[in-house]
Order: sequence, then C-alpha cells, then structure tokens
Amino acid sequence: MTSDIDLSCTDLNKNFGSYQAVDNVSFQIPRGSFFSILGPSGCGKTTLLRMIAGFLEPESGGITIKGDSMLGIPPNKRPVNMVFQHLALFPMMSVADNIGYGLRRRKMKASEIKKKVADALERVGLPDVGDRAISQLSGGQKQRIAIARCLVLEPDVLLLDEPLGALDLKLREHMKVELKKLQQAFGTTFIYITHDQSEAMVMSDQVAVMNNGRFEQVGTPQELYYQPDTPFVAGFVGESNHFSGQVVGRNGDVVEVKTASGQVFHSIERIDTNLAAGDEVELFVRPEMIHLSFEPENKPENALEGEVANILFDGGNSRLLIREATTGAELQVVQPQTTQFRDVKAGDRLYLSWAASQSHIFRARGQSQTPALMQTVEE
Amino acid sequence: MNAFSSSKASGKKLALFLLLTPFALHLFFLILLPHLEILNISLRERVSYGIYKFSLMNYEAFFTEPLYWRTFLRTAVMSILTTAITLIVAFPVAWYIAKVVRGRTKGLLFLACLIPFWVSELVRTYGWMILLRETGVISNLLQWAGLAVGPVEMLYNDATVMLGLVYTSMLFMVVPLVSTLDGMDDSLVEAAYDLGGNGWNALREVVIPYAMPGIVSGCIVVFMLSLGNYLTPILLGGKDSLWFTDQIFTQFITRFNWEQGAAFGVLLLILSSLIVWLGLKLSRQSFSETMGR
Repeated sequence: MTSDIDLSCTDLNKNFGSYQAVDNVSFQIPRGSFFSILGPSGCGKTTLLRMIAGFLEPESGGITIKGDSMLGIPPNKRPVNMVFQHLALFPMMSVADNIGYGLRRRKMKASEIKKKVADALERVGLPDVGDRAISQLSGGQKQRIAIARCLVLEPDVLLLDEPLGALDLKLREHMKVELKKLQQAFGTTFIYITHDQSEAMVMSDQVAVMNNGRFEQVGTPQELYYQPDTPFVAGFVGESNHFSGQVVGRNGDVVEVKTASGQVFHSIERIDTNLAAGDEVELFVRPEMIHLSFEPENKPENALEGEVANILFDGGNSRLLIREATTGAELQVVQPQTTQFRDVKAGDRLYLSWAASQSHIFRARGQSQTPALMQTVEE
Repeated sequence: MNAFSSSKASGKKLALFLLLTPFALHLFFLILLPHLEILNISLRERVSYGIYKFSLMNYEAFFTEPLYWRTFLRTAVMSILTTAITLIVAFPVAWYIAKVVRGRTKGLLFLACLIPFWVSELVRTYGWMILLRETGVISNLLQWAGLAVGPVEMLYNDATVMLGLVYTSMLFMVVPLVSTLDGMDDSLVEAAYDLGGNGWNALREVVIPYAMPGIVSGCIVVFMLSLGNYLTPILLGGKDSLWFTDQIFTQFITRFNWEQGAAFGVLLLILSSLIVWLGLKLSRQSFSETMGR
C-alpha cells in the first residue's frame, strides 16, 4: 500500500518569526491523483508548496516522495517540478529551449532532447510552436508550455501554484478542463494550490481545505460540498447562508435551533454530536438547497416566508435576496430559470423550505473560524 | 470641428518643435559643428603661415608612427579590460542591491554607490594618490606592520590606472544592471533551480541572458568613459601611462600641432565606434534596444 503513495507529509511545521504559517499538516497523496489545496490567501498553502518543492525547509516534520525523505535535499535534486504562479517561462529562450532546459541539465544528447521536446509539444497539443519566442504565445499556450517544460522531466509530483490566476474567465474555464485532461494523459501526480474553489472542485480527485496553516478537511469535492466537517469548510466551499443561534431542543438526531432574531430551524447533527439545549451553534444552508414555491408547502422541516428584496441576476447562477417576513433577516436563494420563477419581481411573496438533512450544524467555536456569509476570496 | 482638430494638430506640432529646438541647437552647435571643424582641421596640411592645403598626412602619421597606433591599441585593450573588470565587480553588487536587500537598505546601498560622485573626479583621484603614493597611507601601514622594509610606490603602473578607472566607472555599470535585474521575476531563478539547474546554470542560461541589455549598455558607457578618460590615467599612471587622450592633449597643447591632434580625435571616435559596434554584434544586441531600456 505504501508504494502507491507518491507524496507523504507528516506533522509539517513552518514558522516565520512568531507567525505559524504551516501548523502540523499531515497528508498522503496516492499515485496519479489530482490533489488540490484550497484556502484563502495567507492560509499557508504557498508555504506548504514551497516546502515540497524544496525552496523552504520545514521547522519539523517529514516529507517523503515515493518513500524517500526529501529533507535537506535542494530543489534541483528533488523529483518534483513546479509550475509557477506567473509561469516563469524564460523570456529570452525559444519555446523548444524552454522545454529542453531541464533535459540539458541532465546532460542528455542533443538529438534525444529534440525528440523529447517534440514529443512533449505534441502531447500538450502545440506541435508547431517550438521555434517561437515566449512573447509570441497566447496566455493559454504559455500555460501549456510551462506544464510541458515540467512534465518532459517526468517528475513524480507536479506542483502548480495557482497558474490559472492570471487568465481571463473564459480561458480559465477552458484551461480547467484542459489541465484535468493533461493530468490524466500523463498520469502524473498533480498538487494544485488555489483560492478558487471552483478550480479545486472541478479538477481534483481530492481537495484539502486549508485555513490558518491547518488542514480543515481532506476529501473528495463531493464530500467537502455535501459533508463539510467544520464551519470553515461549510462557509468556504460553495456558498452558504450562515446563521448563529442556540439549541432549544432535539428529537432524535434532529436539533432545533433558535437564532438571535427569532427564526427556528431544524438540522441533523453529524460532526458535533450530543448538542444540548443552550449550546451555541452555527448553521449553514446552501442557496441551491432551498426549495422555492408560491404556496406554503405541506409540513416541511424548515419553512420561511418572505418577499423578494433584490434579484442578483447572473444567468444560471442568479440569486434572489429574500427578506424574511417576521424577522426581516435576509438570505440568498438560487433563482431557478424555469418559466415559473423566471419572472419573479422584487416584492413578490415566496415560501422557502428545506429538509433538516440539507443544512449543516456545528458547535460554535469563536468568531474567527467562519468566513463571512457568501464570501468570495480574491487575491 | 475640422478646423478645430487641425489647429489642435498644428498646436501639437508647435509644441514638439519648441521642445526639440534646444536639443537640435545643442546637437548642431555643440556636437556636430565642432566635430566637422575638427574633421576639417585634420584633413589639411600647414604649408606656411596661414596657408593650408588638403592632405591625408596626419592620418598617415598615425599608421606609420608605431608610438601612435600602439598607444591607441594599448588604450583600447586597457579600456576593454577595465570594462570587463568593472562588469565582474559590479554584477554581484547590482545583484545584491536588486535582488537580496529590500526597502530602506536598498536605497542606502544605491546612495553609497552614488556618494563618491558628489566629489569631483580630480579630488577623488588625488584621494587615491594619497593612499597609494610612496609616502602614502598604505605604504606607511605596510612598513609599520613590518610587511615592507622600505617605502612602497604603488602609483604609476598599469594596475593602479586600472584600479582608478574601475572605481570611476562602477556607478555607470551598477545603475543599468540594477534596473534590468530589478525587472526580473525572482521565480525565473527558482524555476531554473527547480528544473534541475545549479547556480552556475541559472546564472549562465537565465540571469545573464535576461540582464544582457543592461550588461551591454553598462559596458558601452564604461568603455567609452575609460577610452576617453584623461585625468585618471595621467594622474595615477604618470608620464608612462601612454593613454591615447594624452597623445591628443600633447598634439594640441604641447606641440601646437592642431592638425595632428584633430586627426587623432577623429580616429578615436571612429575606432571606438567600431569597437562598440563589434561588441554589439558579438553579444547580438541592437544599439537602440540596449539604450532604450
């Protein structure tokens, strides 16, 4: 089993002065998988990546690649390569010379280098650009050349430091699919760090959500989305309506919560069990999990009544901002683009409902743990 | 509307004309005119008082009299050597300023390179003489420490001339190097390491090619300054320094042979341009690109 693990990190720590950038992080990445580390800026993900690449040494803990310890080994001797945030293609070399740079360092014969470079260009789908200057490539082409430059060296692990950050939206969407395909074609283990949850979710087999130097949760994108382990994950992965409140009662594993503004919700406890009356809790409901209707539903587990305060139109991602009738609290609900809801106007009265199992409840752990409601993190 | 836009265009033209006029006047009266006059003087032979005729005699003298062309060759080789040494000394300094230090220290180090230039070259050179002469500071120090028996004369040799020239030229190499290295993304060097290179590969294949425009523009300036320097070689090298500018001075002032001096001046211009052109060709840089940085 251990031979199927490409990269293993145990109890990694890194401080910058008194600031703990990476705090006791352990994880294992199976061979050939696409692993993402997702977190807001300043969460320590770049530090972690640079430790794996060899540009930083951890204070304590171990890094092994295919069973060999990497501690004390300089970056040029490690079987890992890195695609830098701004790609770091060498501007004074041609595309072919860029890709051949690492091979030349291995003292490979010129004829063999030429063959390998041509092969790498073929595999990233750019067979004819070898003689071009870097400045003549488009953004997407540069991405692929930067990846080819690393993959031609056949590393055990490829590290990617938010390489899609500089691209415009359309190209970024396209490159997500492209990257995933490239990873599958080469079968190399990818470690991808990003603050963009959509990038992490679309491409990855496994995602680690990082916050304040720690891993909050490691799991498949589905697990993170449907079964977040911590309030931070619930708030950071996908979007959520966030409520704070107190437990007022329970029935089996269904907990009844009353918020400060007087709303009453029901949720199934999963991670933090044995919630008792009086416990402070945090509750998360995703905008897309909320059912909308014009008439009151028959005995839903959670029901609200409110009027449309605002329409946040964004095509398929459109939201309705609903102001609750009794408390005046606002929450976001996905606006279905069906004929029934397409023409909803501000001021319309709507009924909201969701099942207890479609919300997440956590014991409150102080304030800094949860990102703000509907947070989008930008660099 | 049309009249308005055309008057606006002519206004722009006028502004451009007014801005360019001082430059054009300067170029014509202070650079072109004297050089044309020097060229004119160099191409004549004095027959008797106030009577001249056209002649290439002065140019012939340069090529037939070994002292002249050998002095020129010596000056050129020493200047090239000075340029190379300045580059080698300035590169780590520029790297340190551009890439290693941050914030305040960066400004302070830059200032430290600049401060010597607040003092005139003459005073600076006399400063070196105080240090290096027979009765100077270093000589005395060596005797006091028992490392030398008698006074040590460190002036009036080629090494000292070179030292003085490198010292004078440092800033002109450091400035263009810092500005090109400043623009280099640090991750280029990291990528060079990450892909299996060592420090030497990274320097040779990534850093130096990237800094090439800065290196070349620094080299051109330092080479020209050294070749045309008069003060430093004469003061630190003494009578034996045999610097070509000294030959020109001698012809104009000592021998009052303006025709010969002018010919030397023209030759210095042509030959130095030739060497710079050759250097550009060898480093595959274009002059406009290098100077445009």
